[in-house]
Amino acid sequence: MKLLSRRIWGEEKMLNIKNLCAFYGSIQALYDIDIEVQEGTIVCLIGANGAGKTSLLKSISGMVQHSGTIEWNGEDITNYNSVQIARRGIMHVPEGRHVFPGLTVEENLEVGTINWRGFFGKRRDADELTYVYDMFPRLKERRKQLSWSLSGGEQQMLAIGRALMGRPKILLLDEPSMGLAPLVIEELFEKIVAINKKGTPILMVEQNASMALEISDYAYVINQGSIEISGAAKDVACDDRVINAYLGVHAGQC
Amino acid sequence: MNIGLYLQLLVIGLSMGMIYAILAMGIVLLVRAVGVLNFAQGELFMLGAYVCYALTVQLHMPIYVMLIVALLIFVLFGTLFMFAVYWPLRNSKWPATIIISTLGASVVLKEVVKLIWGSVPVVQPPIIKGVLVLWGNVRIEYQYLFIIGIGSLLITAVFLLFDKLFLGRAMQAAAQDSYAAQLLGIPTIVTTALTYIISASLVGVGGWLVSPLFLVSTSLGSFLLKGFAGMVIGGLGDVKGAVIGSLLVGVIESFATLFTATYKDAVVFSVLIIVLIVRPTGFFGQKISEKV
Repeated sequence: MKLLSRRIWGEEKMLNIKNLCAFYGSIQALYDIDIEVQEGTIVCLIGANGAGKTSLLKSISGMVQHSGTIEWNGEDITNYNSVQIARRGIMHVPEGRHVFPGLTVEENLEVGTINWRGFFGKRRDADELTYVYDMFPRLKERRKQLSWSLSGGEQQMLAIGRALMGRPKILLLDEPSMGLAPLVIEELFEKIVAINKKGTPILMVEQNASMALEISDYAYVINQGSIEISGAAKDVACDDRVINAYLGVHAGQC
Repeated sequence: MNIGLYLQLLVIGLSMGMIYAILAMGIVLLVRAVGVLNFAQGELFMLGAYVCYALTVQLHMPIYVMLIVALLIFVLFGTLFMFAVYWPLRNSKWPATIIISTLGASVVLKEVVKLIWGSVPVVQPPIIKGVLVLWGNVRIEYQYLFIIGIGSLLITAVFLLFDKLFLGRAMQAAAQDSYAAQLLGIPTIVTTALTYIISASLVGVGGWLVSPLFLVSTSLGSFLLKGFAGMVIGGLGDVKGAVIGSLLVGVIESFATLFTATYKDAVVFSVLIIVLIVRPTGFFGQKISEKV
């Protein structure tokens, strides 16, 4: 069994989640979730509102009470707090962007280095800064601007850029397309693919199922707190249940 | 003759304004970091005066030793205060819980001070003795100049911390969005504790500065009201506004004594009411409402 899974998944599963349950007080939000993310891939989680997608990401980054096991490169990180998890390069870009409104774009990016720099470390973020500015030239144009004054798309780019400053080994993206215009979403997804091409695996939660499935390697469908369907993204995109519930008319390519 | 009088009033006003500014700054830092008005700030201020009185008058410490010991005590107070008054209640669903707990803390601190030092006011000798004679009978006590000097030093230091140091930037970030800050790996417990420590130390030193001018008593806590006034005039939530507003309050109060010494507080709070009618967000409030 182990050999078989190695054959299929390769030697390293970077992120390996088993039997994950999440709780808000007495309310259970996730039931026995199993999820894996391999090196270099994009994995997406799709599902309706309130299905538990965000709770899953929050459990990984230690922001929600949870049980089960979460393994990161073989290390059990289930009970780590958010600071310990960020130090391991697991960068969570939250839903709704959450940029620091009173800081400028560049200051926001600078704060993103805290997980490897600490409070008193020297500023050595030139490489990261060029990487982010090359990826999102618009941020460079606006680097002296306070971030509350940015447009929604720019704020999303800033939130992702801020996570990139933290030398991510994996990016957890929560609803990157939320509230954005279709053209902006398209640009953003191109950037996400570009970031992934540079070697950063991505675990993405998306409502925009068709676009998410298009760029993903692997997909999970969450419904009412448990995994309903999983498989390679192109297979999931052709699953009847997925077409009916999440894709509708867009599923022409099967 | 008149110019000399005005100059004296200005110096006294500015020095009292510095004290209010220190108080207001402490409050604003906490409001921004944890979103809670700290009603015990005035009692921490009073405690600062009593601690310095105990160290200099009762324990006969030289000023340098006293300052170091006092600062250590303020750091301890700040940390204890955070873990007693804020931390256990931080997840409360009812935001007023923490405000009420700070009210409780203010009563407790006042009573503890009365238990230790009694309810009779005590006298703290001036930190710097002497009077600067400019001309004729225009005299300014060095103590006022000392307050202005140390006050501006402290305020500048806090500004530099938040503006120039990475630590300050991370604290600002944690204050603006604690959820995102945690996801990035900022230990918000540390930034919050630091904010409490800075706030408690600021007002503690403020209490030390002001103690020779007034009797050291539990009524020092009521200075908080002037700090509040300065903060509201400047615009709630803005540090720069709080400082300028507080200096304004100090100067208004001091010039009000030209007409009435008894009702100078009434004059200050009338100005506050007028500002609230004309500009409810305070002079620097607009920028903030856009920001948040």
